[in-house]
Formats: sequence, structure tokens, C-alpha cells
Amino acid sequence: MVIDLKCACLYLSRYPLYQLGNPQLRIFRTNFFMTLVKPGKEQPPDTVQFRIPMEMTKCDIKNYLEKIYSVPVGAVRTRIQYCTNKKRNHLNQRVKRPDYKVAYVQLVQQQTFQFPEIFPQKDTALEPGSVEEMQDQFMQDEQQRQKADPRRGGVTEWFGL
Amino acid sequence: MAAPSRLPLLQFCSTRVFLLRCTQGFHGEPVVREPAYPPVIPSRTAKSKSAKKRREEDYYNQVRAASLVQDKLRLLTRLQRKKYVVYPQTFTLNADRWYQHFTKTVFLPGLPGKCSVGRQVVDKENGKVPPAAGGVDPTVLDENTFSELRSLVGNGILQENFYLKKRRPFLQKEQEHFVAPFLSNLVSSVTSSLAKYNPLLKMSSLDFNPEVSFYWMRGERTVPRGHRRGRVDPIRFQINDQPHCQIRVPEQLEEFLPLQESVSAEVPVVHFEPNRLPMFQRQYDNNIFIGSKVTDPCSYGHTQFHLVHDRFKRGRLIKGNLADQVEVRLRANAIASLFAWTGAQAMYQGFWSHEDLTRPFVSQAVVTDGQYFSFFCYQLNTLALTVQTDQDNPRKNICWGTESMRLYEQVKDGEVVGLNDDVLKLLVNFLLNKPQKM
Repeated sequence: MVIDLKCACLYLSRYPLYQLGNPQLRIFRTNFFMTLVKPGKEQPPDTVQFRIPMEMTKCDIKNYLEKIYSVPVGAVRTRIQYCTNKKRNHLNQRVKRPDYKVAYVQLVQQQTFQFPEIFPQKDTALEPGSVEEMQDQFMQDEQQRQKADPRRGGVTEWFGL
Repeated sequence: MAAPSRLPLLQFCSTRVFLLRCTQGFHGEPVVREPAYPPVIPSRTAKSKSAKKRREEDYYNQVRAASLVQDKLRLLTRLQRKKYVVYPQTFTLNADRWYQHFTKTVFLPGLPGKCSVGRQVVDKENGKVPPAAGGVDPTVLDENTFSELRSLVGNGILQENFYLKKRRPFLQKEQEHFVAPFLSNLVSSVTSSLAKYNPLLKMSSLDFNPEVSFYWMRGERTVPRGHRRGRVDPIRFQINDQPHCQIRVPEQLEEFLPLQESVSAEVPVVHFEPNRLPMFQRQYDNNIFIGSKVTDPCSYGHTQFHLVHDRFKRGRLIKGNLADQVEVRLRANAIASLFAWTGAQAMYQGFWSHEDLTRPFVSQAVVTDGQYFSFFCYQLNTLALTVQTDQDNPRKNICWGTESMRLYEQVKDGEVVGLNDDVLKLLVNFLLNKPQKM
């Protein structure tokens, strides 16, 4: 298989094996794309989390960030997340959710990164005197009326006079 | 009273009993006895929190009551569970802050007054003037001995790098090939020539490639999954360290700071779980070892010498954008190794987390990669690191340390160029450290 180094479609090929004396392997216009994601579990402030294609390695990530984005990288750790094959569709066939690779990149020189809040929490404060506020108040009063007498201690009205 | 005639047999065999029975009916002083109930304590085997507390109390009392140190250590290390393995020489970033948090250590740059270069020994009776800062005390060490030491060190460096014809070492074995024999040579020769000035060194024991290990608990976590899910467990740590060589002595070194004195610096607190460092968990034998068994007479530590592995050499770190991590890793190495050594020494004397130290334990370390030397002193003030014992514990462990200093610039044409005297003086001061009464 001829490996075209200019437009490296690295999904279908392995890297050419290096032997002493070979020139430095250079790849222009890679086919890799990394996605910055918000960490699911709390990460230390200098750690950035990415979802990367399965074929990418730690060295690839380091070179990618340093050469293309000029971000100096301290350490990279990767893992592969296995996703379920248990779900079934309407034809009872098993449907695989695709696996993905996650990379944790630690930045140098105490730099920190905080993933931004894309969906900020909105304060739902209704205007006094508006229709929505009166409706909300009415619903709350209804619910209060429907509740049983707390002095009965949870006993239903079936028992009693 | 009239004896009934119907009981002739009774009269013969049991007159005494009959009499006794009669006497009991007489009115006399009532015997007052306090009701003796057993103490009301919670059960041992019930599935309740008070029963769990009682089992823990019984366990702690059992450890306290153990007379031999070996029994205490066995009871404390008997239960095996998953624990974090702390490596003193680590590839992780910013490891020194995390290690300070795990060991409750404060790091102070520079060395304590006793060990710094220009150690002042003022003789109050004669009123001798202390030597100028930067010099070795002339009353202890004279110029001849110092120049002898210089030549010893220079010869050691040349031996490995110039005189001996060596093959090119295999990948990542340069330190083992060039620096390890030089370090052994340096330590043994300098120690033997300084032995006449420090009688402690005459009674010391120099170990090569000893094993130092320590097991401790710090912090708590809830077990997330498994058959023990939901239970609150302490987080366990284990260090298994192999310094290049160490000096063990029979007498304890003097403290740098009094035990009760508080230091203004704070212990850094890390709120993340240790596996985010990253640090990994394993389950195996819980070891506590200083380099020799409990019955050895040299049960206190003096100095450790650490060799930086090829993977963590300066050149590799600078190539990998981690130039600021060089000092960080040296500090992490010193803190972890010295905490393990002093902690193990304290446990050998019978102290543990619920029976805290009554005197501080002190040790020193030199971390080197052949050319750069850094010196560290550690004072262990407390072993009470578990959540229960740490609540009212104001004591902190203290680590002093220097930046890395070059011993020599390079080896050129059979000559050592730029041999730094300050480093040698610090080394001499370290090795001459001894308790006041000797």
C-alpha cells in the first residue's frame, strides 16, 4: 500500500517503520481532529480533556498541539472508553454505540484551563404583576389546598369521621 | 421448739444442718451487698455504629497493649487492602504539592541554621570568633583535611569519567554506569576520612541499595462500588524506596526546631483524589522497614543518598518542556523518601498514629544526578495523619531543602574543571552532624 505522505489518510495505514538512517517522517495536513470536552469528573486545573480518534497516540497529540496550535504540552495520558453493545433496536438487533478515545493533557508552567459554561443557569424570577406570576401563585395555592392536614401525620382521611 | 417424733432418721444424720436451719430464722443485722452489674457497653458483634466503634476501640487497645514493637507493626500492617503506591522518583507533574499534602509536610527553602554553610560554633568560655560565612569551622575541620577531601572527590570523578575505559552503556543505563560507582566511592571515602571528627560515624552502618518502606493512612473516602460499597474507608499509602546508600546510626540526631514550635508556612491542601495525580492502587504486603530489622542497634537515620534515574535526568526534562519540573521532582523525591525513613524509624520506636511522637525524628538526604547536588533536611513531628487523630493536631512535619548546585563544570583532559567548594562544605557539614552530647 503506497502511503502518500502529503495527504496522510492515517486511518487506513500504519506509520512507516523507522530504520537507522531514514529521514524524519513529516506529515502535512493530517486527518486527525480533536474535540475539547468538558470533563465528566472533576479534573485538576492544569488538565484539559479531549476526545480523539482511535488511531491517535500520545506522541501524535503532543506534536499536534505543539506544532499546529503552539500550545506547549507537559504530559499526555489516554484511555479508550468502551460503549455498550447491549441496546437493541425495534428489530431486536444489537446496536453498538461507537467507542471513543479520551486524552488528558497536562499543561506546563502551572498554566490552568477551565472549560467554559456553555449553558449558563438563568434566574427564573418572574415580574411582579405579570400574568405568569399570578398563574404561578394560583398553582402554588391550589397545591397547598390539596395537601392533607399535617397534624394527621400522614394518615389518610379514610380513617376517621 | 418441740422436735417432731416423725423424723427419727433426720435426727441422726443431719442434726448440724437442722441446727443451722434453725439459726437462720433468728433476727440479726441484714447483710447489705451492692448489686454488682457488668458495665453497660455496646455489643461487639451487632450490625450497629456503636458496635463498630467498640470493635475499633478494642483494636486500638490491643495495639497499645502490645509489648514488642514487632507485634505492634504486625497488628498495624496485617490487614491488606488496595493502597496507593507512592513513588519518590515520579514522572507526574507538580508531585511535590501532592506529596506534601499526603505527608502533612511544610517545605521551607534553604537549610536550618545548624546545617548551613558557615555553621557557627561559638565557644562561650574562650569567646572564639565564629568563622566567616561560607567557611568550614576551623576548630572542627582544618584546611589539610579539606584539601584531602577535594582531591578524593576529584579522583572519584576522574576515575569514572576518564581513567577507566568503559564501553558505551545501553540505553538509559548511563547513571548506573558512570555515576553510581562514583557516588559509592564518594560516600565511603568521605565518611571514613571524616570519622575521626565525628565519633557517631565510627558507630554507624553504611548500607548500599537498602530498602526503605513505609505504610500509612491519610484522609477518608467512601467506597463507590463492590461488596464494600458505601463504607467509609481511610485512604492507604505505601512507599517502597531504594536509595543508593544510607548511613544509619545508633544515636538519634538532634532536632532542628522544638516540637511545639509552629511554623508560619502552610501545608498545601489538594482536594482531588490521589488517582488524578495520577497515582495507582495495588494490594500487596504492607511493609515498614528502615533498612535493617527492629533489633538492629543502628535504628536511627543519619543521611540518605539518592541517585536520580535516567528517565528523570535534567536533559530529558528540558527537552520535554518541563524545565521547571526539575526542582519540583527533586523536592518530591526528598519529601517522600525522608518521610518514609523517619516514619519507619518512629514506628520502630513504638510510635504510631494513635500514640503520637514525644520527640521529633530527624534525617538528612542528598539527591544527585552526578553533577548537580541538592541537600535536604527533614524533621518528623507527627505521625497522626488519619482523619480521627488529625482533628486537633497542630503539628506539621517540616522539610528544608536547597536548589540543585553543580559540583563540577566538566571533565576536560584529565582534569576536573570548576570544582565547587560550597557543595563540598555542605556535604561535610551534613556528615559531621551529631547529637550535642557526643
